[in-house]
Parts: sequence; C-alpha cells; structure tokens
Amino acid sequence: MTAQAPEKIPPRLKLVVKPTTVPDKIFFGISTAAGYSSIVLVSLILLFLIIRAWPAFASQNIFDFMFAAGWDNAAQPPIFHIGAMLWGSLLVAGLGVLFAIPMAISIAYFIEFMAPKAIAKGATVLVDFLAAIPSIVLGLWGFTVLSPVAAEWAAMLNKSLGFIPIFANGDANFQRSPFIAGIVVSVMIVPIIASITREIFSQMDQELIKGSLALGATKESTFRRVILPTASGGIVGGVLLGLGRALGETVAIFYVLNVIYDDFNWFNILEPRGGSIASLILAKFGEATSDEIPALMAAGVVLFVVTLIISSIASYIVAKAQPWRKN
Amino acid sequence: MANTIDLSPVARPKTATPWTRTSPAQKLSYAAAVVVPAGLYALYMVLTGADLMSGLFTIFLPLQILVGMLAGILTYGKKGIMDALLYVVTIFFSAFVLVLLLSVIWSLTEAGLKAISPHFFYQNNNYVQVNTSLEYGGVGHAILGTVLIVGVSALITVPLAIATGVFLTETRSKTRGVIRTLLQAMSGLPSVVAGLFVYSMLIVTGVTQYAGWAGAIALIPLMLPTVARVTEEALRLVPVELRNGALALGAPAWRAFLQVTLPAARTGILTAVLLGLARVIGETAPLILTTLPGNGTNLNIFEGPIATLPTYIYYYISVGFDTSIQRAWGAALVIMILVAILFTSARLVARPVGQFRKKGK
Amino acid sequence: MNTNIKNHLTSEDVNVWFGERHVLKNVSLQFPNRQVTALIGPSGCGKSTFIRTLNRMHELIPSAGFAGKVLLDGDDIYGESVDPVTVRAKIGMVFQKPNPFPTMSIKDNVLSGMKLSGTKITNGEELVETSLRRASIWNEVKDRLGEPALSLSGGQQQRLCIARGLAMSPEVLLMDEPCSALDPGSTRRIEETILELKEQMTIVIVTHNMQQAQRVADQTAFFLSEDGNPGHVVEFGTTDQVFNMPVDARTNDYVNGHFG
Repeated sequence: MTAQAPEKIPPRLKLVVKPTTVPDKIFFGISTAAGYSSIVLVSLILLFLIIRAWPAFASQNIFDFMFAAGWDNAAQPPIFHIGAMLWGSLLVAGLGVLFAIPMAISIAYFIEFMAPKAIAKGATVLVDFLAAIPSIVLGLWGFTVLSPVAAEWAAMLNKSLGFIPIFANGDANFQRSPFIAGIVVSVMIVPIIASITREIFSQMDQELIKGSLALGATKESTFRRVILPTASGGIVGGVLLGLGRALGETVAIFYVLNVIYDDFNWFNILEPRGGSIASLILAKFGEATSDEIPALMAAGVVLFVVTLIISSIASYIVAKAQPWRKN
Repeated sequence: MANTIDLSPVARPKTATPWTRTSPAQKLSYAAAVVVPAGLYALYMVLTGADLMSGLFTIFLPLQILVGMLAGILTYGKKGIMDALLYVVTIFFSAFVLVLLLSVIWSLTEAGLKAISPHFFYQNNNYVQVNTSLEYGGVGHAILGTVLIVGVSALITVPLAIATGVFLTETRSKTRGVIRTLLQAMSGLPSVVAGLFVYSMLIVTGVTQYAGWAGAIALIPLMLPTVARVTEEALRLVPVELRNGALALGAPAWRAFLQVTLPAARTGILTAVLLGLARVIGETAPLILTTLPGNGTNLNIFEGPIATLPTYIYYYISVGFDTSIQRAWGAALVIMILVAILFTSARLVARPVGQFRKKGK
Repeated sequence: MNTNIKNHLTSEDVNVWFGERHVLKNVSLQFPNRQVTALIGPSGCGKSTFIRTLNRMHELIPSAGFAGKVLLDGDDIYGESVDPVTVRAKIGMVFQKPNPFPTMSIKDNVLSGMKLSGTKITNGEELVETSLRRASIWNEVKDRLGEPALSLSGGQQQRLCIARGLAMSPEVLLMDEPCSALDPGSTRRIEETILELKEQMTIVIVTHNMQQAQRVADQTAFFLSEDGNPGHVVEFGTTDQVFNMPVDARTNDYVNGHFG
C-alpha cells in the first residue's frame, strides 16, 4: 500500500429545510407553538398543584402522609394521611385489571381468531362503544344494577372460600366492597386492554401460526405457546395502560365503594370498606377546610405522579411491542 | 403422457370443504356440550330459586367447562380437552362482556325511558324538589350547560390539537418525541386531577368564581390528547406523493398544507374532533370541582351556577330519593344518546368513501 | 399407474377452489418412499396450493374448497374420522420464509413440535442433537443452543426449521420453495441436506429453480395453468425424462426457459 494524498471530498452542505418566507414562518411558528402547548399545560398542572399542595407537604410528615392512615380536619393539628387511600386505589385497580384480563384477551382472541368476519367486525364496534360509555353512567349502573348481583357473587365466594382470609367478611353486608368496585372498573378497562391485544394479535406474523399448526399443534397449544408469548409484551403494556386508567377513575368508583379513611383494608376484598384517592378528593372537596384543600391537592399530585409513571411505562412497552406503528 | 383431458373450470361442489364434515356422533356431542350445561343450570335455577346471574361463575362456568372437555375427548381424544377449554373460556368471557354491555344499555333504556317525556328535554329544574314527581322538571338546562361548556372547551382545544397534529407531522422538530410522550401522559391524566388543576389555578387565585368557563378549561387537557393523536394519524395517512406533488409545483409549505394535505385529511380530522367530544361529554369530576350545580337555565358561562348532564346525574344519585335516581337515569339516557350520536357519526365519517360506493352497487 | 414401487403418498384427482374460482384440477400424483419429487411450473400455476393440500394446511385459508383424495399409506387423510392435527404431525412442512419461533431458544425451537402437539419428550438432549445433525446445522449451533433462534442467519434459520420438522420424525417432508429467501451458499447446504434426508423419508419440494429440481429430484411434475383454466399437471415422470426428453412441447419450452 502506498501512501496517498487524502481524498478530496467537497465540504458537506447542510440540508436543513427551514421556512424562508414570512407566511411559511408563521405557519410553522403556529404549529410549533401549539406543539409546545402540551409542555406548558403539563408543567402548569404540576406547578399549580405542587404550589397549592406545598403547605400540606410542609406540615405533614411526608412519610406519614404517603403511608399512614387517618384523615381528620378537626384534630389539632389536623391529620391528613393518604396511605390507606393510596393502597385502596391500588387494590381496586389491581382487582379491576385481574378481572379485565381474561375478558379482554378472550374478546381479542375471539375477534381475531375465531369469529367470522362480520361478527368480528360487529364485536369490535361493540367493544369500542363500551369504551365510549361515560364513567358516570357506569357508576349509576354499577350502583343500581350491578351491585346487588355482584354482592350475591361475593356472598357465594365468602360462603365457599371464606376460610381464606382474602374472602373473609365479618360483616353480613357484601355491598360497596373493593371487589365490587373492581368489577365496575374492569368494565371500563376491558376495552383498553382488548383493543391493544387485538391489534397485537392482528399484526402477528401469520407464518408463525402456520408453522405451529404445520407441526401438528392444536389451537390451544398454538395460543399458549406461540401466540401468547409473542404477544405478551404488547399485552403487558395494554394492561398497564388499563391500570393507569383504573387508578385515576373517580365517579364510577365513588358510588360503589365505601371509603374508610382511617384504616387500611389490606386484603379483605369482600368487606364493605376500602380506599380511593380520587374518591377522597371528590368526597372531601365540598366541605374542605382551608388546611384541608392543600392536603387534597397533595393527594392529587400523588395520584397524578403515580398514573404518570404507570402510563409512561405502558406507552413505552406498547410502542416497543408495535414496531409497525412507527412512522 | 400428454394431457388430453378437459381443462375448463368446474363449478365448486357443495362438498368442497370436507374438513367441516361432522359425523352424527360429533354433532351430537357438540349439541350436548351446548345444551346440557344450560339445561342443568336451568334446572338448578328452578330447584333452588336462584336467579340467572348468581351462579354464573360458580356453577354454570365449571359445568360448561366440564361438559365441553368431555365433548372434546369424545371427538378428538386427549388433545381435544385443552382445545375445548380454550373454546369454552373464550366464548364465555366474550359473551360475558356482551352481557355487561347489554345490561348497561338495557337498564338505561328501561329506567331512562320511565323518566323521559317531551318536557324532560326542555324544562329546567326550577321549583323542583328532590321528591317532586317526574311530571315536572327536566334536564333542558343541563343539556344547554353541557353543550355550552363542551362547546367552549372544543373551541379552544380543537384548533390547538389540530395545530399540534400539524407540528407532529409537518415539522422535523427534534422535540416531537417529547411532545408525543407528553400527550400520551396527558391521556392518562386522572380527570379529578384536571379539576383540581383548574381549581387551584383559577378559583383559589380569585381569577374567577365557580363558573362554566372554568369547567371548559378543565376539559382541555382531557380532550387535547385524543384529538391531537387521531389528527396526527389522519395527517400521516395522506400520501407523501400528494404533498410532494404540491411542493414540487413550487407551492409554499402553508399552501401545500391548507390546499392539499388538510382537505385530504378532513374526514380523519372530523373523526378526531367527534371522538374528542365523546371523550369529554360525560366527564364529571372536573366539573364538580369547577362549577356549581344549578336548577335554572344559565347561558352565562362566566358567572353563576350552571348545570351539566354529568353533574346533574352525580348530584341526583347523591340525594338518593327514588324520584331523584329516576331523574338521574333519564339524564344518563340523554347523555348516552348524545354519546351514541357522536360515536356513530365518528364511525360513519371515518369510513372510507370506497365502502359507500360498494354498498351502493 | 406404476404399481411396482410402493407409493407412500398419493394424490387422486385433487381439485381446489378458492371461493368459486377453480384453481387446481384433477391432480393425481404418486410420491414413492425415499424419493424426492419436485413440483415445477410458472407462478400462479397452483403448485404451492397443491403442496398445502398434502398435509391439510390448505383448509386454513378461509375461502378454500377441496375435492379428491390424498392417501398416506393407503388411508385418505381427508377421511371423515381423520384429525388434521395428527396428519400435520406425520407430514412435516418447511415454508418459503424461515419461521422459527422468536420467543424460543434454538433448542426449544427443535423441541417445539413435541411441546406444541403435547408429545412426551424422552431424551430431549439426544433428540435435539440428532435433529440438528440431520438438518446439518449441529456444528454451527452446538455451543449456542440456549440463544434465541433469531440470532441465526436466514439460511441457518431455515435449517433450524427443517430440524424442527425432523424432530417430529415425519414420514413425509413437504418443502414449499425452501430456498427462495436464501443466498446461494445456504441453498447448496439445504440441497445437500435434502439428499441426505431422502434416505429416510419421502420428500416433496416446490421450486422455481430448474437446476435445483435437476440436482435434488428423482421425479418431477410440471404444473401449468393456461387461458384462465385451473392449474393441472402437464407432465409427470422421472426428472431425467421431464428435463431431457419431455413429451409435451410446453414442458420443453418451460424447462428450456422459453416461457414462464
């Protein structure tokens, strides 16, 4: 190899498409400003909530505020602890997700792999319509129609499995329990999980399913060993999205859950006592004292941050599981 | 061996799908798998006086799985067991969701229609007490309030959301990823937090009293992500060639957008707006924190108590009288009709033109 | 019909419809044991459709219709009491595009057929090794059996799919253009594998590559669909006869590259 003079390459031009005329500048300026409005909006939400919540964060021990139980605006000094509410929200949302998963995956499988085209189309519309029902309507339905039926299920569970602490109930009352709130919430999040799962199923490589069937697999083993593992990432993302939605749900839970502020209900899901941050805010807001408002704001901040984290993780997972959606 | 046989196509015979053939034994076991559990469950209901729903999971489902598996064994041997389980579970849970949906629709119709009469739509609730009979009063004021608040909110949100969609598709800004993530995060914003936000920003600070417009502002962060995301998808569906065609003719970007891209995406954007409206029309918690309930008609969104359909339902359930709950059902039916109209129009609009043509044939 | 050689797999008057369209008419072929049969013909002549009727993968297409018989050791695989799942376990298939299961390791991919069909796995390690050896990929992957299957190259993935099929010890192996997505080197390896495998089983291969058919096949069937008529077999015989002294002028044109 002989030494050579370095090759001459002309300087690289910058190919930046920049608006040059005034109208174009205005056009792009407006759209960029609008784009940034989301940043402004989210920042404003966090800013105002945190400013208003500050007195509560300052006066309450932050650890107690987050993890202890008790809410008394008449005490001296007032006690504002949301631990029981936070746990209650997680419990109800967790139950909701638990109930929603079999329904959502069943529907997705039914639509994508079992039903004839026309029925599948109809079922898709119905699931989307279920998502469009306002939560106040579901709350009213849950309160008047579902509760009595679900209380019967709860009573049966208690009768047959009551020796397991989860299903124990010292009370004869089976209404307004985390169990029932979980069912109502599951109705709201089934469409979310189902539509994401369905999309993942529909975009699956058909070759894999063919390959499995050609090896002599039954439908069930194809589902369990090929379809489900391949789709699991997207399903987990969809479940997390549903969880985020369930945590933030307010009015649908408000009427079907008996909120007890000063005690944890760790796992007695059939007993008529539970917690929910959103319900706490709604219930206490009307007659809140001036000390109490900041505490409610602080509860709002916690709720927002928790849902924000969960839905961010969810969006990340869903986006990763749906590479075909990029661009 | 040259082929001298007739090569022309032959009509498909009725028997062309041998894999759908079922022997009488198979037919019998399928039929049994459907009829036997239902029959036994009916018998159980009659004997114990239980109602349809009570034993659905504890008695009917296990029974159905057991009989289904038995039928699976009889027709396909051991392999049939798990397939039967898959079938039974899938269909059962799918049907269960359908039952839930039908139950919601049925109770809305049944209980709602009892409350609804022509005057329910146009009268307000002045002079109505909690136990006043349903012959008097209605949700006219709440319908107006909902239309006003959602309308004002949409007036602000829709241009903002469309411009955001434009930002996400037409520019090459590096922050687009961040904005997209934030929109995702905002779509998970608990609605009660949106209410708290406006309360702390506008009401605590004394900018305004409880008023309709505060409610309209509270709906913005809830509506914006839906409209922006669907708009983005609609704009993305416009072929690049179309856009480039305009640009290649020397059109400035704003003209290319307004005259080529926007018209091509207009049905998609309309869908986005309709879906956004459907998303917020039933929002309750934000309005409870930002508006005051009223019984009279109030068209001034800057002052005074203003009723909306969702908050109307909320307060009338809380009161707990039979008549007030009936009124809540009536209002719920009205709001569902509005949602159904928005939902159906969104679907009709979103349908590509070609499908209409096909139907016309 | 040749009755001297024991015909392992036989198709009798196979007809196929998609919806109302008749795409394959009266295809009767005999596939003797331990022989490779190549199916050739221009695109759209129905050869890929035909090969899918041989292990009942055809019926998975929603509008599919079928008439005729496919006999495996004298028994019709479309018989009334026959379960397609058992048929597919006995008659293996390799597809155009390699389709290993992305969520499974190399080893689990080889055993996937057993797991999917619920067959008990005895001597898993041994089965993995012999299957991979028979598919001539053992030396390349023996140190990385736990790695995901997608870490392999396209040609290796295809041989893994062959190994996956072989682990089920099928009596027949169907290959639908197994090399069309591969480079020449990988193609050669697969052809060598086919020649080794034919000592133990019946192989049917769809190919667009004339040289490949000549290299691997003992007998060849030429499919054609003309003037909107359904596809049919124009000529069927030993590979030597079909390529070197075809009876039909159209066969002659096709194998010499004059049309198609």
